[in-house]
Amino acid sequence: MSRTVRIGVDVGGTFTDLLLHDPARGLTWPGKLPTTPHAPGEAITAGIARLLAETGTPARDVAGIVHGTTLVTNTLLERTGAVVGLLTTAGFRDVLELAREIRFDTTDLLARPARPLVPRHLCRGVRGRLAADGAELEPLDEDDVLVQVGELLQQGVEAVAVAMLHAHRDDRHERRVRDLLARVHPGVPVTLSSAVAPVVGEYERASTACLNAYVQPSMTRYLDRLRDDLLAMGIDAPLRVMLSGGGVTTLADAKEFPFRLLESGPAAGTIAAAAVARRLGEPDVLSFDMGGTTAKIAVVGGDGPRRRHDFEAGRVDKFKPGSGLPVRLTVVDLIEIGSGGGSIAAPDALGLLKVGPRSAGSVPGPVAYGRGGERPTVTDADLVLGHLDPAAFLGGELPLRTAEVRKALDREVAEPLGLDTAGAAAGIVEVATASMAAAARTHLAEHGRDPGGFALVAFGGAGPVHAYGLAKQLKITRIVVPMRAGVMSAYGFLVAPPTVDQARSLPSALTEVDWERVTALYAEMAAHATAVLGADGTQVRLRRSADLRYLGQGAGIEVELPDSGRPAADDLRRTFEETYRATFGRSLDGPAEVVTWRLSARLPGHDIPLGCEPVAGDPRRTGRDVWFPGHGRLAATVWDRYRLRPGTELTGPAVFEERESSCAFGPECRIRVDDDLTLLVDVGP
Amino acid sequence: MTPAFDPVGLEVRWDRLATAVDEAASTMLRTAFSTIIRESNDYTVVLTDRRGRTMAESRAGIPGFAALMSSLTGLVLERFTAQEWQDGDCVITNDPWIATGHLPDIAMITPVFHRGTLVAYAGTAAHSPDIGGTPALGATDLISEGILIPPLRLYRAGRVERGVKDLLLANVRLPGPLWGDLEAQAAAHEVCRRRAREFLGDFGEPDFERFAAEVHTVTDAAVRAAVRELPDGVYRAGVDADGVEGHPTHIECTVTVRGDRIGIDYAGSSPQVPFPVNSTLNYTRAYSMYPLKILLDPGTRTNWGSYRAIDVTAPEGTIVNPVFPAPVVARHLTGHLLSCAIHRALAPVLPGRIIADSGGAPALRVRFAGVDDAGRPFAQMLFANAGMGASREQDGLSATAFPTNSGSGSIEAFEVASPLRIVRKQLRPGSGGRGRRRGGLGQDVEVHNPTRHPVQLVVLGDRERHPALGLAGGEPGATAQAVLDSGERVPLKSVSQLAPGASVVISFPGGGGFGAPEEREAELVRADELGGYVR
Repeated sequence: MSRTVRIGVDVGGTFTDLLLHDPARGLTWPGKLPTTPHAPGEAITAGIARLLAETGTPARDVAGIVHGTTLVTNTLLERTGAVVGLLTTAGFRDVLELAREIRFDTTDLLARPARPLVPRHLCRGVRGRLAADGAELEPLDEDDVLVQVGELLQQGVEAVAVAMLHAHRDDRHERRVRDLLARVHPGVPVTLSSAVAPVVGEYERASTACLNAYVQPSMTRYLDRLRDDLLAMGIDAPLRVMLSGGGVTTLADAKEFPFRLLESGPAAGTIAAAAVARRLGEPDVLSFDMGGTTAKIAVVGGDGPRRRHDFEAGRVDKFKPGSGLPVRLTVVDLIEIGSGGGSIAAPDALGLLKVGPRSAGSVPGPVAYGRGGERPTVTDADLVLGHLDPAAFLGGELPLRTAEVRKALDREVAEPLGLDTAGAAAGIVEVATASMAAAARTHLAEHGRDPGGFALVAFGGAGPVHAYGLAKQLKITRIVVPMRAGVMSAYGFLVAPPTVDQARSLPSALTEVDWERVTALYAEMAAHATAVLGADGTQVRLRRSADLRYLGQGAGIEVELPDSGRPAADDLRRTFEETYRATFGRSLDGPAEVVTWRLSARLPGHDIPLGCEPVAGDPRRTGRDVWFPGHGRLAATVWDRYRLRPGTELTGPAVFEERESSCAFGPECRIRVDDDLTLLVDVGP
Repeated sequence: MTPAFDPVGLEVRWDRLATAVDEAASTMLRTAFSTIIRESNDYTVVLTDRRGRTMAESRAGIPGFAALMSSLTGLVLERFTAQEWQDGDCVITNDPWIATGHLPDIAMITPVFHRGTLVAYAGTAAHSPDIGGTPALGATDLISEGILIPPLRLYRAGRVERGVKDLLLANVRLPGPLWGDLEAQAAAHEVCRRRAREFLGDFGEPDFERFAAEVHTVTDAAVRAAVRELPDGVYRAGVDADGVEGHPTHIECTVTVRGDRIGIDYAGSSPQVPFPVNSTLNYTRAYSMYPLKILLDPGTRTNWGSYRAIDVTAPEGTIVNPVFPAPVVARHLTGHLLSCAIHRALAPVLPGRIIADSGGAPALRVRFAGVDDAGRPFAQMLFANAGMGASREQDGLSATAFPTNSGSGSIEAFEVASPLRIVRKQLRPGSGGRGRRRGGLGQDVEVHNPTRHPVQLVVLGDRERHPALGLAGGEPGATAQAVLDSGERVPLKSVSQLAPGASVVISFPGGGGFGAPEEREAELVRADELGGYVR
């Protein structure tokens, strides 16, 4: 018996998206259910049962399930995690509350920072001290540890985070605490800062450890329960979990380090875009994922997106850096801004048109949905401009209310600003597109890149709708719109490679690197990765990199190292300078140093087609007038994407509709339908 | 004037320039060497029109500094007229009466040309790691505080002016990092320049004149509308501080509201002193504009127009408008007090917006320098903050700077960069002024010298005898102090030695409370006790 069926399951705030793929039958099958927030497993098992039934797949044929969830994020935002106690070095119990001592918004005197996950009375210092080089200055006071932990447990602590000074250099005290607790208080989960984030910075390390401890009990229960539910359905295939950096990992690893699941949704989108880039043979693309509340833009190579190694979770204000809790976490390097289909448009105090970051969300949603929304949104503007068919939205399940939308636009935007209805709608789209373009330019500049040469890969419910306008603003001449804009995250789960990312802090001048020690660190990391990946070493691809900076700078930039062997200091210096110049436009004299050594280990991902068999029948629907940026209102042909045949070539102005999204391209565009039913668009001058 | 752009066109253009200067600021931060730029956010980035009036100012950095960049560029343009500039030029200056009030802050101005025409200037100011001169506090005139750079071309048509660079670097202790930071500023200018040209190209506009005129009108109108909300009148407040030995500082602040104009005058403040706590009128303006702006019109993006309705004046020869060659290096010890005075003066008309005195106004700065046991020199700033004042509805933030926004560095990084050991860094229970709303807590930082050599200890602060006062019946926060393990007190404006094996505890002051302490709700009192925030 060969088991070939794999299923991706993406639990979002509103919908649970699923995608089943069976290479043996050439089958790719989507599903979508409302998320069941009280018990997310219900929608998952119901969704899987439905997919299996619809595709005639016996449960035992399922070879793997890849899961991603917003549960970690929700636990943090709703503050429903465990009662955590923090053990740190004596004298530093306020490490969480002192934080970075900044005001994240200097214009708002009353702005409050994010509340620490552990209140002050549950933060305890214990005797025992290491020096900056890891040498022991004072041994760990084990009696002190047990007394403090005993008190914490009496106060209702359910999980313990341990974050001692300089533990990234030497974890002996932290390990000793863990071993003590395992003996004296077995069953109390313990997170060590040296295990979750072995890099310099006591606040960020403590914050990361506390976050992991905070979400671990509920995530463990959730994942175990899901495993049991799947077994009850007859699915005994491995359950894997999507990570924030774009890889997938095992159930056991996810339970030990659940904080790594924080940003799995946005990561999955970019992994999907990478798969699209590979199929098209593009070296890299600009991934453009626009949903209901935000737009996410990232440079993505066929090999996957770039990653960053810090993140901020649980922001008080989602779009204000510094308002959240820092996490030393490998995440996909993307820029996210408050422009989504549900972003609300309104004049500000100066009489300027603002769009977002406030969003109508899915409830009440845009005015057009008729669910009580009264403030016009980007989606409402799209409707008035002809980009959406009021009768065909979500396959006709949600008739859109054009008359109400026009009224709301007039009342909230057009009249206060002295515009007509269409002008107000066009203005909303222009402002939203401009802020996405500005974000894209900033993101590209951070990589030292220009938008010009990229192909724009658009997905998410609102991404395809705005792809043409964004491409025009960025002077991008090629747009790619895969089928199934709405389930790209679930698709990303299926194509994501199993991955283990690790880092070790060992600062040293570039000319004085202790290569023996570094080689040992890499061997240790590689052994751990291979064990977690559960593979024989031959399949594992190891990529090494390091964070370098000029001596005296604060921020490092990540520089690729050769995959094996010891790089010559001169080569490393040259690579650093090239990367630095590409990023900042200049390189400097003066000594450089390595701060952190990194290893990313991965197994090959899966490449699977996104398309489906075209449905028979005339693809042409009734044409309509559509507003195009730079052209105004034009009569456009309308095409049903499910009925277009591969190889079809068309010209704009044209609209392409699928169930969950639509896209429109102006008269200067040539559009080709490729084998996957993906639209490849050339935007002419 | 008829608007040149509709509400959409103006928003799209404005957002684009605002994003551009923020991108430039981020480039500067990521490439800077000075921890003072990185940890204290001691910098600003702007883009001005061809008359030197800012159109966009970076959101991060020192908000007050952006308010100075228009007058700074204007003064530079008096010396270098529009006809003299070439593409690739760059003028620098650290003149405290032109730039941001003391020599370590170096300002740079670069022209932006579009199709052969000068259309804009990019400007930055940032705190450099060293500017020469004698170590802090000894100075009784400006010249002993370091090298004074009048507006000079550092670059001409893209080529560095060798003589200027050599002279500058020969006069500072850390030429490498200083040059690195100037390169970081230049990198930020490059971003501004590229984005400004792209802007004009994309919108098909010849220059920024129409855009600048319009955003200046809009911000000016917003501030005037906010001023009009205040009842006409004259509002006064006085603030006292330790000052220097024999010269306590008094700030007398008169706020006059007439229709849509607001004036702040400091007549009656202490005379200038032969010690480095004098605040040039520029710095006085910056630290008056910022606390006022966040009371009046906090949300609106700022530019030259934002400051037109506000007049800041002070008699010449006072500590808030000293004349050359007054020493100024610690000008923040005076300038930061102005926020307390302005909030206090406006308390009767803006009771729900103002805050009580903050412990960090003025900021307490501590610096250690010496050699480690291997003979390697080190110099390390200790970044830590006092408690903020309470407002009518909220407790003050603990260990948070106001009116600056200097953060704190990592203890681990501090111990990597110096042989010193931080023994504790902890909130200071009971240091927040009591009140219906409690002042923010200060903190205790204990630093130990484990080396065989004495370490130089420079302390620059105030509030040793003058705590942050409360408002509306709120009590003052705890005062600041620095005490050696021998029990000996270290004066808060001093240069001394930390002996081998010795420790010093620096206690950062708390913020003032707001409202009568008896009115504090029982549940908040219980929470204070549980958390150990009070004694």
